[in-house]
Amino acid sequence: MINDRTENLLLAVPGILLLALAFFLPIAQMLALSVSGPDGPTLAPFERFLSDPYYLGILWRTVRLSLLITVICAAIGFPLAYIMTKVGPRVRLWLVVMVILPLMTSVVVRTFGWMVLLSRSGLIPELLRDMGLVGRSFALMQTEAAIVIGMVQVLLPFMALSVLGVLTRIDARLEEAARTMGCSFLQTIRTVVLPLALPGIVAGSLLCFTLSASSFVTPSLLGGARIQVLAASIYRSVTATPDWPFAAAQAVILFAGILLLLIPYIRLTGARHG
Amino acid sequence: MVRAVPVWLRLAGVVFVVLTALVLLAPLIVVVGVSISESQFIAFPPNGLSLRWYEAVLSSDAYLGAGWISLQIAALVTVLATLVGGAAAIAIHRRQLPFSELLATAFLSPLVLPTIIYAIGMLMFWSAAFGTVTPMVLALSHTVIALPYVVRTTLAVLSEADPFLEEAARTMGANRLQRLWLVVVPQCLPGLAAGAFFAFNISFDEAVLSLFLRGPTLTTLPVQIYGQLEFSPDPSVAAVSTIMIALTIALIAIIERMLGLNRFASA
Repeated sequence: MINDRTENLLLAVPGILLLALAFFLPIAQMLALSVSGPDGPTLAPFERFLSDPYYLGILWRTVRLSLLITVICAAIGFPLAYIMTKVGPRVRLWLVVMVILPLMTSVVVRTFGWMVLLSRSGLIPELLRDMGLVGRSFALMQTEAAIVIGMVQVLLPFMALSVLGVLTRIDARLEEAARTMGCSFLQTIRTVVLPLALPGIVAGSLLCFTLSASSFVTPSLLGGARIQVLAASIYRSVTATPDWPFAAAQAVILFAGILLLLIPYIRLTGARHG
Repeated sequence: MVRAVPVWLRLAGVVFVVLTALVLLAPLIVVVGVSISESQFIAFPPNGLSLRWYEAVLSSDAYLGAGWISLQIAALVTVLATLVGGAAAIAIHRRQLPFSELLATAFLSPLVLPTIIYAIGMLMFWSAAFGTVTPMVLALSHTVIALPYVVRTTLAVLSEADPFLEEAARTMGANRLQRLWLVVVPQCLPGLAAGAFFAFNISFDEAVLSLFLRGPTLTTLPVQIYGQLEFSPDPSVAAVSTIMIALTIALIAIIERMLGLNRFASA
């Protein structure tokens, strides 16, 4: 006869096996490959990356753009999520659909839409030229601005949903109390809603930054070959110039960089609330 | 006295929501617009209406082949992720295993790790072991990244389920298999269903793993579209993309009808 523990173990074993063989083992293998050379362990791929101004430039651009994208997503995502909690159930459902539809649409398809909109003869540059805001030779494609626009649209749903999850759990009476005590609407937002929503904004920002720093489909299609980001450089090291140890080293740098930036961030907000 | 929210702020809110909706939906609208264009070139707004690019897609071996591969892989991923993830969620929920906290973290970890890092690991590991990447490897990798969604939706449903139902079944003499199959699985069903739809959607739309693990005979629909976009896209790319958008809308409608979107949107 089997007991409770055996039954639960049997239920969990297929998943544990799958994760071990198709998740943890491959990642361990990649970590090992990043420090393995033809004659024993080596840090040569890391030295090559960290001593070349070209690759350091790619690293700096990745960090800079990811920060910018994260800040813009937070600035749009917080008010959007707040409004979603205040409207009636029908409008709210439509707003949820408006956020989830792009989220569930393939990134390739969405990037294609931006390629059409931002291209030389596309709607947005044409509009800006007609309004006289930019010169005749103005272009958006293959610029950092194009990457930021495309990535904000890709990542905004993550931010909005993450803030929404926290906002729906806030006691509505806190806001009412602040208002009856004489706070104006904007004061209430600043002193009550925003601090309470902070965990959601932080979680959303972590997600946006991580996804932004590690994505290459949108940046390489909108930014072109000259404006490389780290993830695009990894993809190129795997496909164009097959150099797997170098690709693995770059992936390790990406992962370490994300951890390095996120740990103090979590500590900071954890201390303030804990 | 409570001062009302100023009218200009309410108006600003409406304008803000409309503008955000425009930004979020613009790329999708543009893709649909381009797909029904008469023109030889990609143009928006479309000049002239025609369905010729849909005909072009339906007579293209490259698109049909990629679509068939994507469908097969997504179907396999849906079954695998729902079975494996659902079973794991039941085990995690019962908290009788000594390491169930660790287990829960392990099952959600593919959500946290950037897909590109995982993709490199998979490529290197399986190519080193077998020399080539098979469709099964791609399906397994999609299953791994879909797993957290199934585990999360199932755990969410189980946390609201009545824990005494299984106890009642036990006292009434139901054996282990009967309790699992007749009590626990039906309790999980809404979560399993939602997880299954998410798993299908993730696999069918996934581009990063599919790009790293692609092969001459292993090209999914997103990879095919990506390849077209890198070179010289014609409006047939827009037609394929529109079909993918339509499929996503159908999935969202089914999830809303069966389970309610709000439940999973803020989970």
